[in-house]
Amino acid sequence: MSERLLLTGNHAAAYGAMLSRAEVISAYPITPQTMIVELLSEMTASGRLPAKFITVESEHSAMAACVGAAAAGARTYTATSGQGLALMHEMLHWAVGARLPIVLTNVSRAMAPGWSIWSDQSDILSQRDVGWMMLFAESVQEAQDFILWTYRVAEQVFLPGMVGMDAFILSHTAEPLIVHDQAAVDEYLPKFEPLYDLDPAEPRAYGGLVNRDHYFEMRYKIYENMERAGKLLVEAGEEFEEVLGQRYSPLEGYMLDDADYVIVSAGAMTSNIRQAVRDARDEGTKVGLLRVIAFRPFPIREVRRLLAGRSKVAVLDRNMSAGHSGIFAQEIRAALSGSADAPPIYGYVVGIGGRDVRVETGREVLEDLLQRDEPEPALFVGVKGLPIGPLRKDYRISRLEPLEVLQ
Amino acid sequence: MNRLEHVDDYPEIPVSLAPTSALLKTGAWRSVRPVVAKRTAPCTADCPAGIDIPAYFDDVKRGDLESALDRFLRRNPFPRITGRVCPHFCEQGCNLAVAAEEEPVSIRSIERWLGDKTADRPHHVQVDPTGKRIAIVGGGPAGMAAAFYLRRSGHSVTIFERREHAGGVMRYGIPEYRLPQAIVDHEVARLEEMGIEIRTDTSLGTDFSLEDLETEYAAVFVATGAGKQRRSHIKGESLLEPGLPFLEAAKRDKVTAPGERCAVIGAGNTAMDVARTLRRLGADVTVIYRRTQEEMTAVAEEYERARSDGVRFEWLVAPREVKKARDELRLILDHMRLGEPDESGRPRPEPTGVTSELRFDSVFAAVGEIAEVAPFPERMRDDQGWVDIGTGGATRDPKVFAGGDLATGPASVVQAIAAGRAAAHAIDQHLGFTHLWPVEEPVDTVRPAEVNPTYMPQHDRSDDHEVEAITGFGEETTTLSDSEAAAEMARCLSCGYCNSCGTCFVFCPDGAIIWDDGPRIDHEFCKGCGICVVECPGHAMVLVNEREVSNV
Repeated sequence: MSERLLLTGNHAAAYGAMLSRAEVISAYPITPQTMIVELLSEMTASGRLPAKFITVESEHSAMAACVGAAAAGARTYTATSGQGLALMHEMLHWAVGARLPIVLTNVSRAMAPGWSIWSDQSDILSQRDVGWMMLFAESVQEAQDFILWTYRVAEQVFLPGMVGMDAFILSHTAEPLIVHDQAAVDEYLPKFEPLYDLDPAEPRAYGGLVNRDHYFEMRYKIYENMERAGKLLVEAGEEFEEVLGQRYSPLEGYMLDDADYVIVSAGAMTSNIRQAVRDARDEGTKVGLLRVIAFRPFPIREVRRLLAGRSKVAVLDRNMSAGHSGIFAQEIRAALSGSADAPPIYGYVVGIGGRDVRVETGREVLEDLLQRDEPEPALFVGVKGLPIGPLRKDYRISRLEPLEVLQ
Repeated sequence: MNRLEHVDDYPEIPVSLAPTSALLKTGAWRSVRPVVAKRTAPCTADCPAGIDIPAYFDDVKRGDLESALDRFLRRNPFPRITGRVCPHFCEQGCNLAVAAEEEPVSIRSIERWLGDKTADRPHHVQVDPTGKRIAIVGGGPAGMAAAFYLRRSGHSVTIFERREHAGGVMRYGIPEYRLPQAIVDHEVARLEEMGIEIRTDTSLGTDFSLEDLETEYAAVFVATGAGKQRRSHIKGESLLEPGLPFLEAAKRDKVTAPGERCAVIGAGNTAMDVARTLRRLGADVTVIYRRTQEEMTAVAEEYERARSDGVRFEWLVAPREVKKARDELRLILDHMRLGEPDESGRPRPEPTGVTSELRFDSVFAAVGEIAEVAPFPERMRDDQGWVDIGTGGATRDPKVFAGGDLATGPASVVQAIAAGRAAAHAIDQHLGFTHLWPVEEPVDTVRPAEVNPTYMPQHDRSDDHEVEAITGFGEETTTLSDSEAAAEMARCLSCGYCNSCGTCFVFCPDGAIIWDDGPRIDHEFCKGCGICVVECPGHAMVLVNEREVSNV
């Protein structure tokens, strides 16, 4: 029987791992992800989740342990955030090259310094090119369900996948959650069969030297499988509805059909943008929303189809690639490049380091979009003392006098 | 072999398609090989009875209590008794204590648990009757143990006991709160159920002589103990109460304290028993000892318990004289200091010239006991006048064997049991039987530097639980529960005994250990790296030079 509980995004992620029957979990705690690890360690200690919980001294080791466990044929899960994900970086590559369908929840947090535990997409987007599937959850339900969805696809293409979740806004916010019936989940997600058994009776060399005559072919297959994952995400999202009652897809449109203007967003901040879009519709503005759920594989063709012919498109980025523009904006521009009826793309950088992205923020962006004539790579929203706009022209280094200490 | 000209000729991942082991027989690289070896654990080495402690722990772990008990009984018939009163020599050299700086495994508590857990199981005679009759004089721990092993070996055994029940010091010496009589009764009953005859109220030297027994029996084992009070050489000695008879009286009848203020002279186990018994009778008790706590011969835990019972200790005072003055006794004490070591290795106490006087209602002497050798004819004595006793209890008379406290002076129950067993072995061999005594090759003892406690569970040691202090003579501790005993056994490194913990299997980097209900080395692939030997918690594996075992 499924049940309905009031849980935070973090606890929902732990439930996602539990429902997936993860067999090995290795993780290192880090704010704001710690609650996931805490609940999973309780679940494994109590026997509720019959899994091996491997404690480690770092995220690098956590992913190394996951790599070993997945190679041995175990369904393997971990969770991290911010600096932790950065420390995992080398092993993230390993999971891809070894074709291990590990699933990871990343509770996105801003990178240090200045030290910040608050919401920001820079950590996960810095891992854009390692070859992991990447999904962005908006709700507590998705924080749970995307884990199942990711395993379903990952284990068919033998590539790992990560589910992104916004720090605090989603990780620590409680919402009603449907915890699915285990038997139904088991039907959706059959037992993991690894590519090769790690069998002590027949030892093999794994991850060895391949030289110039092998490497390209192996990488080619990784690209092929990431491509396959795009189609499988659609199929597995439909199967999810058939078996478990929710339908998921790589992109989600809202009031999009007749929209002249579109705002593109990802993750939990989308909920407020959706409200801003609805409010603007009430006032007669023909605006719609496109939510990017699958960032890797990126649904290029669907993005082209859904955005072609629009008057203007605003892309919201809670991240910034210094020297270029927001990363979602880059991706959307690249997807549309060369297609007929490609709309102008206005990049908006918002909410860096966990600054609130409110319904009003959505309204301000929309108003700016309507009145702005020329698209800009990056328009900054809410920098103190500055209006919405591109980088200022009159920059100078601020060397502030040290404060005098009060006696 | 694929031609590797098309992308589909390649596997998905960098992996060797043929098992590497098919190509590389890495065992050929080996110059040393690991061997699972049975070695002696320090606990076994330190146990006077030589109980194979790691082995019976493993039997229990495997769920084979019968085997555990059987293994135990090969060395000691009375786990319920020694599990309560043994000074646990086994725990003093526990490798866990040295290597991991943890408390030693609570071996005695586990022994007690095993004894109580199997209390309902009868003992068995293991071979057909031999037709030989053997007499045992003295029904204490040495005599009872000898009787057990001789009866198991098929002989008819008769114990001659001078008191009305067998048990010796276990029944009449050790206080009830340490060893309930019911347990001794039960062990005596189990011996009788084996067919051992116990003739009580019959004394050597009065009711029969050694010659009488030699005529009627194929062999005689004398274990009459050491029950004679040693003289204290204190002026006014006759005013002192002897310790052992007081303990016996306390076990037989309801006794009362002979006055409110009592002193006990001496700091051995008898002294602790007397002091603690007096405390339970309501007396105010002071122990008088001429050396210090460091040198006292009582086991440390009895000293601790005496302290927690409220017994006071006066160190470095030697009684010179005891005087009666009206209703009380005055004890004149020489104050001492420690000098050079004497023949016992302990510092010799020397008078400082200072004296003092303490007043008591009664004073007990517990300064040691010696053997009564009167019933032994002159021909069996050495030039000191003691009975001449050699290996296995052999005396100058080939039919007569002797052992226990009679031979050693007051020692522990387990030492008496070991002596009884050794005598049974010697008698059995003397009569031409060897089947129950397998030859045991001496093996070296596992040293602290060899063990590896890294992977052991780190929980606190479980001891017998103490019941409320000093409420009477009921047993002062209770036996571990099954789960506590299991947790305690899990702490054991199993030195020198492979208990199939699987650590070697987990750590072998080459998968060269095959798990066959236990480790089996796959010599085709074992490179002899020695990791299994280093990781083995109890070092039950050793490396041997390959040239000693194969033609390489």
